[in-house]
Amino acid sequence: MTRWLGLAVATALVLLLGVALGSVPLRPGDVFDGLIRNTGEAAVIVRELRVPRVLLAFLVGGGLAVSGAALQALVRNPLADPYLLGLSGGAGLGAVLAIAFGGGSPWAVPIAAFAGALIAVALVYRLSVVAGRRLDPLVLLLAGVVVGSFAAALMSAIIALSDAPRLRNAFLWLLGGFSSASWPTLALFAIYAVIPLAVLLLAARGLDLLALGEEPARHLGADVERLRRRIYLAASLLTAASVATCGIIGFVGLVVPHAVRRAWTPMHRVLLPVAFVGGGGFLVLADLVARTVLRPIELPVGVVTALVGVPLFALLLRKSLA
Amino acid sequence: MVGRTTWCDYPAEARAVPDLGDGIAPNIEAVLGQRPDLVLLYPSGRNAAAAERLRSMGIATVQLRTDLLADVTRVGALLGRLTGREREAAALKARFESALAQATVKQPATVPSVFLLVWAEPPMTVGAGSYLSELLQRGGGRNAYDDLPTSSGQVSIESVVARHPDAILVLGDSTPAFATRPEWQAVAAVRERRFVFASGSQFAHPGPRAPDAIRALARSLVALP
Repeated sequence: MTRWLGLAVATALVLLLGVALGSVPLRPGDVFDGLIRNTGEAAVIVRELRVPRVLLAFLVGGGLAVSGAALQALVRNPLADPYLLGLSGGAGLGAVLAIAFGGGSPWAVPIAAFAGALIAVALVYRLSVVAGRRLDPLVLLLAGVVVGSFAAALMSAIIALSDAPRLRNAFLWLLGGFSSASWPTLALFAIYAVIPLAVLLLAARGLDLLALGEEPARHLGADVERLRRRIYLAASLLTAASVATCGIIGFVGLVVPHAVRRAWTPMHRVLLPVAFVGGGGFLVLADLVARTVLRPIELPVGVVTALVGVPLFALLLRKSLA
Repeated sequence: MVGRTTWCDYPAEARAVPDLGDGIAPNIEAVLGQRPDLVLLYPSGRNAAAAERLRSMGIATVQLRTDLLADVTRVGALLGRLTGREREAAALKARFESALAQATVKQPATVPSVFLLVWAEPPMTVGAGSYLSELLQRGGGRNAYDDLPTSSGQVSIESVVARHPDAILVLGDSTPAFATRPEWQAVAAVRERRFVFASGSQFAHPGPRAPDAIRALARSLVALP
């Protein structure tokens, strides 16, 4: 009970900090005024930029952590992360194509990245179904690596063959960040994320069984094939949307599930919601660091998640081994 | 002149010179094929290795930094010495400097602050020590991020809001796509479409066309509402 309370308080605090602090120093009074009134510069900064950004970072972080936790159980590999299955390669290829050849649409890059991620997911799925007929974890991993490498090779070819300075900037987009957060983006992502998130949260018992291994899960009455398909598709669709909104943000989906497993519980009924809240809070905090430490310069948020996540992970490993 | 890079596109006659590919990490084989006496390179890590290899084959190399306006006359004088045409180089330098002085706006009535947006996703700008910033200053404007601690960097939209730029300079010739994105509507200059367009390689790297670039910027700045 105290742990739940602690988590709730910490989350509320992080969300509040995310809105209160930013690259422009605002007095606490101005932030409060900005939240409740509708005019003035503080209102524009707080209401139009900071609040949607913080909420989007929270949702994306939560989604990545839940996807990561589910995929780690699905492939029974602690190194699995949401981008493992060819997704990042597909999204990157889509984004680079849009930047190299794309026209004037302001949404060209996210749409192309989303389409690229979906195509990669479909290819990986198709490959593993053809090869194993049962979404075998090993085949799934291999298919992910194959599709990801192919997409990365195509991406490198396009970069090598076209206007260099423009495409160097494509990498900046891929490094991830929430600078394009807005209310419409947030609303779109939130509506979209409801179904895959619900599917994953409801699959908690199935994930517990899968984590035991295929045979035990079958003996305990799980429809392993259907379960795998559902989890794989939900996690992939959720991650594809997060790549489209904010690029590739590493470490949240890898570290947060492990942290919760070690510090709290490996049971998915609790693990998944705690990972959602923890992942969300972690990413809001990382984004806060990214936009304030070097102001007015902003760091790619993926750099911060790695810089914070790696030592945290090492500490956790040491503690649990001791 | 027996070779150029793909990006050397001015003046039009330059296109008649054989194109040997990229300027960073050049194709050594293609360069050797033209039998040059002297190879000019931009100083960078990968070019240092290329210069080393060319030197070991007995070909003279010079690495020239060409980042700012002052580099144009410095490099011009150096090339004059290297090619034994010091008189022509001196005349060129004098012509360039007087054109530069003529193009520079001496006492602008107002000095609009301009956000130099070199990339929109994510928003990237350049600081005071950049060529674009030099052009802007001579054209009668002020870089909204002249306090940037690095030569270039990603900035947040909220800091753009707080700096109230009078205009946004974009590399292109028409209203950019990001102008309709919701998050950018927080910036007044975007809402009111106060854009300054800088299109063409004269804005991308220093050279003899700098005075033209400055005049074009000065015209756009005066025309701002």
